[in-house]
Amino acid sequence: METLPADQAAVVSPDLPLRANQSARENIALIPLYQKHFDAEEASRQARTLLEQLGFASIGDKRDPDMKPAERFVAKLARALILRRSRLIIERPGAMLYDIPYPAFLRELAARYDGAPATWEVFDFDWNRPLY
Amino acid sequence: MEFLLNFVERTGAKAVGWWGATFGVLAFLAEVLSTLARPATWNRATLDTIVKQIYFTAVQILHVYLIYVLAISWVIITITLSTARNVGLFDAAAEMIIRVLLLELLPFLTALLIALRSGSAINTEVALMKVNNELDALSHCKVEPMQFEFLPRIAGGVVSVIGLTVLGSVLTLLLAYLAIYGLSATGLSAFSTTISSVFSLPVLFGLAVKCIFFGLAVTTLPMAAGLETPKKLFMVPVSVLRGMMRVFLALVLIEVLSLALKYI
Amino acid sequence: MFKNLHLKVGLFVIAVLALALAFLVYVLHARGFFEQRLHLQLAAASAEGISPGMPLTFSGMPIGQVTSVNLNEAGGIVIKAEVSKSGARWLRTDSSFNLDKPLVGGAKIKISSPDLSSPQLPDNSTVLLLVSDPTQEIPLLIERVKNILANVEHITRQDGELNGTLANAKTITARMSGKYGVLEGVLGSEENARPVVNSLKNLEGLTAKLNEVSAKVDAMLAKTDRWLFAADGVSEQSKQALVQVRAMLADAQGSLKRVDELLKNAVAISADVKDGTQDLAKLRTDIDDSVRKANDLLNDINRMWPFGGDADMKLP
Repeated sequence: METLPADQAAVVSPDLPLRANQSARENIALIPLYQKHFDAEEASRQARTLLEQLGFASIGDKRDPDMKPAERFVAKLARALILRRSRLIIERPGAMLYDIPYPAFLRELAARYDGAPATWEVFDFDWNRPLY
Repeated sequence: MEFLLNFVERTGAKAVGWWGATFGVLAFLAEVLSTLARPATWNRATLDTIVKQIYFTAVQILHVYLIYVLAISWVIITITLSTARNVGLFDAAAEMIIRVLLLELLPFLTALLIALRSGSAINTEVALMKVNNELDALSHCKVEPMQFEFLPRIAGGVVSVIGLTVLGSVLTLLLAYLAIYGLSATGLSAFSTTISSVFSLPVLFGLAVKCIFFGLAVTTLPMAAGLETPKKLFMVPVSVLRGMMRVFLALVLIEVLSLALKYI
Repeated sequence: MFKNLHLKVGLFVIAVLALALAFLVYVLHARGFFEQRLHLQLAAASAEGISPGMPLTFSGMPIGQVTSVNLNEAGGIVIKAEVSKSGARWLRTDSSFNLDKPLVGGAKIKISSPDLSSPQLPDNSTVLLLVSDPTQEIPLLIERVKNILANVEHITRQDGELNGTLANAKTITARMSGKYGVLEGVLGSEENARPVVNSLKNLEGLTAKLNEVSAKVDAMLAKTDRWLFAADGVSEQSKQALVQVRAMLADAQGSLKRVDELLKNAVAISADVKDGTQDLAKLRTDIDDSVRKANDLLNDINRMWPFGGDADMKLP
């Protein structure tokens, strides 16, 4: 485990769940809507675009309990990305992506995404090093 | 001596606990009001969520509520009329019905219904949000849950208590008229006079203020109780229990205060 | 789904707002907010029992209300009232204003216009408010009942007129049953005896009525216990007065019974009772009058008690 991320970092973590009674798109749209004060339609459009870019446009209307681990992870990742912070930290991906080979999955997602930040920092347990 | 010391200590702990809870509620209320006053709050998204909350809190139970008002009003009107007839105070019956049902019983029962249905749901939801770290996640994203989670529920609660009370009151007035004068327009002027003698402008204003306070009580108190929940799943029922107990105390307190202001 | 939801909430909110607004307008209308009103000043010696909001009624229909009760600079009472324009047309210059304070129920100001052809009462006029309070009148009435019953007692007392008459009757009877004057008494018996018999029958009826009166007083006492007494002991005094009244009635009744007894004797023997007949007729009228007066007053009291029964009682 590393030190706690600074305020400038956007974090994807098992400890930061999605809002359970809202769909993935609504969860992502919360940020442009309430932090950057876009109107509801624009915020929703931004969220949809981001999900499409990551290749998961289909999860937009699903809520947390209905998503597979990978889908849930993507929703969380999109929520962190849309914050547009200078660093992106993924904490213990193994705890969120327990049913797939996650290093490859992460690389695939990173390749699809072309916005800032360009590099994603992954914090994982030391014993998982051989996986990467 | 030991016993006495223990007693004092326990009393002190209780007082501190109560003070903490009261302070928490008041601080929460202050935050609600400051959010209300911020112009940025009033965008389309907030209005949409408020509309959704009004739907869930009031419109969804409208038919149930009206049936329930119909039953209670009918019973009370019938009892009042027959008793008034027996003791020779029939002239006062209409006023008695209006005073008891419209000014006191209906607002109170409406608030109680909303508290039981929506208040408990709000309390559970907020407690679960707290326990599941959802609130932490939102604060990490620098999104205030106040604007899209709390405020719409409070606004929905207040609007629902007022709205349901208004609809229920109109229904009760119709029922009272029918019970007293039957299907004819003959009693209209006498009935109007009774209504106007009860509903002076201060009384109407007081009724509106009471409904607003009822609405605030049945939503903010469960929310504040939910926010106080320790991050342990088994504490959720305890939190709901505490929240609902506080709601009940607050409703009784508001009712007693309003009666005291009106009649003392 | 979302559109539908908005529609439903919209309907709900619009219905609530419309009903609330309609109710507000209705209440304002009913309170005469949109109506021109006639203003009155009522002059009274005391503002006791008068409060703002008290209704003014004409023939039992509310037409206005008291708006304020104040003291003026000189310490006088200023009672202001408003009457709706529709109600104001019943107000005449000779209308009387009476404060009506029933024992149970709200007080009101009763307006009566005896002559509807007299001129209309102008705006801002000052009228006299008459105050009548049954709770204050009851002790007075009871005082009067007492006097009347004292009168009855006076008539029937040991050395009173009735006894005198009866003594007279006794003497006559004695005379008739004596050795000498047997026939004197029987002369013209048909004509002479009839009024006597009639009178005596009446007396019997009277006794029965007195019984009724006494029963009424009893009933009233029971009522006193139930209602007046409960309403913060207004009438401890009244109650005692009624107890006295009852005692006196019992007394009077006792006397009349004795009279009855003796007179029956007298009739049985039936003699020249000319003198006696006249006496008895006068006596009967006396008692009759007294009892009627007492009865009227009792009825009065009964009427003022809010839960009174029938108020008619015919005398022979």
